Amino acid sequence: MSRQTLPGASAPRASCLDLWREKNDRLVRQAKGVMAQECGVRRQQLIQNILQGLKEVLLSLQGLPAAVPVLPLELTITCNFIILRVSLTRGFTEDQAQDIQQALKRVLETQERLGPGLELGLRELWDTVLHASCLLPDLLPVLHLLAGLQAAFWLSTEHLGDLVSLLQTLNGTQSRASEDLLLLLKTWSPPAAESSALLILQDARSLRDILLTASAFRQGLQELITGSLPKALSSLQEAASSMCSRSVLVQVYTALGNCLRKMGKPQRALLYLIAALKEGSVWGPLLLEASRLYRQQGDTTAELESLELLTEALSVTQAHSSKAPQVFIEVELLLTQPDPASPLHCGTQSQIKHLLASRCLQMGRAEDAAEHYLDLLALLLDGSEPRFSPPSCPPGPCMPEVFLEAALALIQASRAQDALTVCEELLSRTSFLLPKMPRLWEDVRRGTKEMPHCPLWVSAAHLLQGQAWVQLRTQKEAVSEFSRCLELLFRVMPEDKGQGAASNCEQGCRSDMTLQHLRAAALISRGLEWIASGQDTKALQDFLLSVQICPGHRDASFHLLQTLKKLNRKDEASAVWWKLKAPTQLPQEEATRSLPLYLEAYFNWIHPPDCETLLEEFQTSLAEPC
Amino acid sequence: MAGSEPRVHYLAGFSCPLGGLTSGKPRVLCHEEEVFLSTGSEFVYVYDQEGGLLTAVYQFPDQVWHLQLLALRRALYVLCARRGIYCLSLEPRRRWSSSQTSEDNKDSEASSPVITVDPEACVLPDTTLCAFTVHDDVLVALVQGPAQWKMQLFERPRPGEDCQPGGLVGEVELSTSTPPAGPPGKATVPCFLPVLCCVSPPGSKVPLGHPQGCGGFMLEKALFGLLFGADATLLESPVILCGLPDGQLCCVVLKALVTSQSAPGDPKALVKILHHLEEPVVFMGALKTEPQAEAAVESVLSCEDVYSDCLVALGHHGRTLAIKASWDKSGNLVPELREYCLPGPVLCAACSGGSRMYHSTPSDLCVVDLALGGIPLNSEQPQPDGVPGGLPPLLCPASLSICSVLTLSVLPNTPAGDTELLALSTKGCLMTCRLELSSEMPGPTRMTTENTGQKIKELLSGIGDVSERVSFLKKAVDQRNKALTSLNEAMNLQDVLMATCLLENHSDFSLDQGWTLCIQVLTSSSALDLDSAGSAVTYTIPVDRLGPGSQREVTLPLGPSESGVLDLPVTVSCTLFYSLKEVVGGALTPSDPLEDPFLEEQPLDLLPEQEGICLPLSRQTVDMLQCLRFPSLAPLCARTPCPLGPAADLVDTFLETCRAPSSEVAGPAALRAKYLPPSTASIRVSTELLRAALEDTHSGVPLCSATLQWLLAENAAVDIVRAQALSSVQGVAPDGTDVHLIVREVAVTDLCLAGPIQAVEIQVESSSLADMCRAHHAIVRRMQTMVMEQAARGSSPPDLRVQYLRQIHANHEALLREVQTLRDRLCTEDEAGSCATAQRLLQVYKQLRSPSLVLL
Repeated sequence: MSRQTLPGASAPRASCLDLWREKNDRLVRQAKGVMAQECGVRRQQLIQNILQGLKEVLLSLQGLPAAVPVLPLELTITCNFIILRVSLTRGFTEDQAQDIQQALKRVLETQERLGPGLELGLRELWDTVLHASCLLPDLLPVLHLLAGLQAAFWLSTEHLGDLVSLLQTLNGTQSRASEDLLLLLKTWSPPAAESSALLILQDARSLRDILLTASAFRQGLQELITGSLPKALSSLQEAASSMCSRSVLVQVYTALGNCLRKMGKPQRALLYLIAALKEGSVWGPLLLEASRLYRQQGDTTAELESLELLTEALSVTQAHSSKAPQVFIEVELLLTQPDPASPLHCGTQSQIKHLLASRCLQMGRAEDAAEHYLDLLALLLDGSEPRFSPPSCPPGPCMPEVFLEAALALIQASRAQDALTVCEELLSRTSFLLPKMPRLWEDVRRGTKEMPHCPLWVSAAHLLQGQAWVQLRTQKEAVSEFSRCLELLFRVMPEDKGQGAASNCEQGCRSDMTLQHLRAAALISRGLEWIASGQDTKALQDFLLSVQICPGHRDASFHLLQTLKKLNRKDEASAVWWKLKAPTQLPQEEATRSLPLYLEAYFNWIHPPDCETLLEEFQTSLAEPC
Repeated sequence: MAGSEPRVHYLAGFSCPLGGLTSGKPRVLCHEEEVFLSTGSEFVYVYDQEGGLLTAVYQFPDQVWHLQLLALRRALYVLCARRGIYCLSLEPRRRWSSSQTSEDNKDSEASSPVITVDPEACVLPDTTLCAFTVHDDVLVALVQGPAQWKMQLFERPRPGEDCQPGGLVGEVELSTSTPPAGPPGKATVPCFLPVLCCVSPPGSKVPLGHPQGCGGFMLEKALFGLLFGADATLLESPVILCGLPDGQLCCVVLKALVTSQSAPGDPKALVKILHHLEEPVVFMGALKTEPQAEAAVESVLSCEDVYSDCLVALGHHGRTLAIKASWDKSGNLVPELREYCLPGPVLCAACSGGSRMYHSTPSDLCVVDLALGGIPLNSEQPQPDGVPGGLPPLLCPASLSICSVLTLSVLPNTPAGDTELLALSTKGCLMTCRLELSSEMPGPTRMTTENTGQKIKELLSGIGDVSERVSFLKKAVDQRNKALTSLNEAMNLQDVLMATCLLENHSDFSLDQGWTLCIQVLTSSSALDLDSAGSAVTYTIPVDRLGPGSQREVTLPLGPSESGVLDLPVTVSCTLFYSLKEVVGGALTPSDPLEDPFLEEQPLDLLPEQEGICLPLSRQTVDMLQCLRFPSLAPLCARTPCPLGPAADLVDTFLETCRAPSSEVAGPAALRAKYLPPSTASIRVSTELLRAALEDTHSGVPLCSATLQWLLAENAAVDIVRAQALSSVQGVAPDGTDVHLIVREVAVTDLCLAGPIQAVEIQVESSSLADMCRAHHAIVRRMQTMVMEQAARGSSPPDLRVQYLRQIHANHEALLREVQTLRDRLCTEDEAGSCATAQRLLQVYKQLRSPSLVLL
């Protein structure tokens, strides 16, 4: 810039171009420096300033009529601007498409191919520009870079048709044979930039490699979700073998592990997961995948351990994951955020904590389950930790159900007093939402989305409280809680079965089923208490009612059979026995599977101890003459 | 209104741009004696109420859009447009480390220094941030994405700390059907910003002294549970309420918004849409509508535990939503939801601690009470019947006679029953308004001396506000006058013919609102071409009550049209129209465009619809003879001293003299007038016929002059013609060309066997063929009428030479045939040929216009 310029005709113009050139190079060097050294808000502000500088040069260039000698500089600055902006905002937006479009129009202006008022789409613009570009060999390197950015934009916005067509044009292969995106990316070889060329933030070859990895990975994940596993395996292996950062490699390995597990190859899956672990960073989905693998293999200890690790990892990684990116446009920018359907979706810390607790409960590790549930509730209710959210994300349970599961786990772990406290807490927090008078089930259905559940939670809380009192051997309290539960449950009338059975959603069916089973559970529990206090007739009533309410439920019938036998009412007993002998077990199995966890586990408690012996005993007693 | 007379105190004035401040972005907050204020510019002012002076002015790099104060932590959070969120520490000792630009040379004690806020104070840089709220230890920000709004949750940054990207705790996209206006990244200033506020469940440990209206309030548990669900209730989680410019009202449970960093939250699970106002949401707040005493007894704990039981949201055009929890017939907890319509456009609003909501429009500050059932506050009426605790069916806003308040804040710690508002007006005036709204208002009769003194004080303080109100009204009137003036100017620029229509009610009934006077001005686009339909302009003038015997005058321009040519004759027909649709529709939504100066886009649809009653009144044709002016006759008039004459003469005379030398216009028309012989046409009428027709009115006047007077009967110059007994006049047509009318007596031979017929020849001469034709047309029209009348009287024509007549008739037939063929040829020929044809056609027309026939 300090160079003396002679008052010649061409000198000032040349110096002006040099000036812009130097500014571009200076800004690029500056951006690279900022990228390597700074972080946080300061980095963002500095990059913002550099972007401003690039924009200024670009505006002054675009203010002039497009000219062939200036075009390489102009396009280079456009590319640098786009790269930096995408890196700053961590993703592509419509702005970048407009920048690219503007650049392409400028190219066509010099070729006078752009008729006035002719509005070409991006795809047509590219076709025209690339066909014209043979006339402008100097422009080719930067056009390939711009095409790389366009490809990245189309990949991230899932315009794969446009992307394939662009690559075909770039490769000069117009044949319809090669529609394979990965193949096209591999055959694309952008011309190497000359040493004397303008400085750029990221070259076309690096973009090509990133595009290849990202496309392979995206494709693999998509195939994994749709279930075409062999294809997914090859795509993911392609991604793993191309250039990618460690964090991306961990993701790819995890997806590979998931794929192989689904293909029934647990050993190879495990190898990939171990390889991923060796890459250094602990990543949530990796641990979740490991736990799934162990679960499939039946290794509960390892499964629960990995889940425990995962909860710890999630509480730590969030603070540290703000690792500054070292490359401007990296593979991560071209990947979509994993949605709940994705094998790489891991959920929040509380969701994992809940998963861990409920797995413990399901696997019969009551002590651990109780501890985990208490941890979870403490974290949720304390509120001092702002980073903790409830696990309630469909299809997970809602908060009241978490409370009920916690109470159940506590009872299971023989901590009846704690269970009572948890139930008390639930009741005190939701009781005001209860209706004041009995009402029809149909009304409940039409109410707000959550209202139908409210009575169920409340009565379930009473049910669990009753069970806690049973454990504390306080029979009077227990019976009164069971009665209170039944009172609430019978306020809710089941709807008329005749109408609207098909139109109602699954949620409704589930609530209906839950209601039925809750009633049965409460009746059986109260009946058992009556039996314990020797009031067999009262018990008989409750068992009879529970069989009526839940005809498919075998437990109720067993209890009924036992009581009838005890009361020596043989005729009725044999009728029940015949029903029990009939091979119609399937519906019940299915029914219990769709019940909420707390209810499913509850039935384990009131399950009659040895049904088969009872049936056999009864059979022999039937054979005996009266 | 006697009871709720506001007492307005002006505190300070702040600079405001020409035309006043705009609504939406100014904010005013108060903490103890300090007032924090932003006017929508890049400054944030700190004003000390006690000392009555500015203590600090902070300058930000761009417009300030929102302020929030964390009083306990002495931190002020500022949203700066296109920059992000800044955090200022308000420690009195340790001010924010900043470069004080103007401190070097000025005494900082005397004038409050402008402190340029350091870029380091930016704790959350984001160019697309549009709204935020701070609650406890979290900061919720609303970011404008390419197609959707995005809610982001951060750990609250402290002053001087960066909001690390790791501080992002949760994120969710709000599903909006309409994407926010304007592409992202472009420097478009949104007209309406989203509104965020934080709703806490009852009993949560919100730091006390959290100023109301600063983004937070507590709701009682039934309403909270009902609105936000069991999860939020169980978790006792605060809920972020969000009102979007498209009218959507949605909520996000704060504790559920915490998401793992790898994935943003699922909108379906996290975002609940409460309502859609269908107009930009400008305010959300909460009220205590249950009677205070009752509620306090119910919860014996303490009076402070009376939580708000009603959620309100206000739209820009005044649509108001109120939600309360209530029990339905079968005992279920149901939300009671009501929409009201308040006068708009709403500039801002605020909720008092009780059941009152204040909202400001450009013309007034109003208060509504959701407990009193919207009955105006001064009228002491019992509560409306219905379920106690229900929402009032109707809201009646009571005016507080304060206009153009842009932002409001309810001051805490005011004596019970009173409310004190801090307000900023369009003109940048910061003021406090004390409102005595206690229900047990002393009657106006009990006026003691102290009262009187107080009253006078109040009146005096009221004057200040009245002046502001007056200035607002004056502005509106000025605008209207300006519009009228420019309209007038536009009309006066051209030489416009004005028509005056007088609507007079002779009936015994009065015309009420709803009637419109429709005046249709029909121009024949070319008087020569009778085939073409003329253009029509319809003016509709609403008639605002016309009593019996009263009249209304309407003046309209008749032309010239856009082409600059006045197409005479013009037919003006008047009808009265009563549009049923408009009246019925108008009754439903009365809208005065002046009441709503903020809505330019409102269509002013006054054109009558088809559905209605139509009464034709009269039809009048204006032709050339009526429009001719006679400046040559004027000097005669000017010689007689005219009282109105000299009023504007000094300037006019000067201009006149200046213009005189160069007045020879060099246009083609002038050239033609100078060098070409004028076009002429003539009509002959037998003297006998004319005498018969004119003897009633013009007896004793020479026939030629009488004829001229008859022709110009509807012209203002007729008096001069009569006074001077003129038989020829030199007039000027509206477009400025001369028109010469000559009336003379001639004798027509050859026609009658009995000898020559005495006749009167009326000759029209003009340099403009078109004007000559128009005048000729006008004369012929009059002749036609006269002949018809005379024929009805049954006068007998003299014997005529039939042979001669036949000859003339045959000639005319031939000429007409030639006209027909020439016109046909005109359509088919090329340019050169058509020119010759046109020439010939003109000649033929000329021959036709000078007939040898006489009207007998």
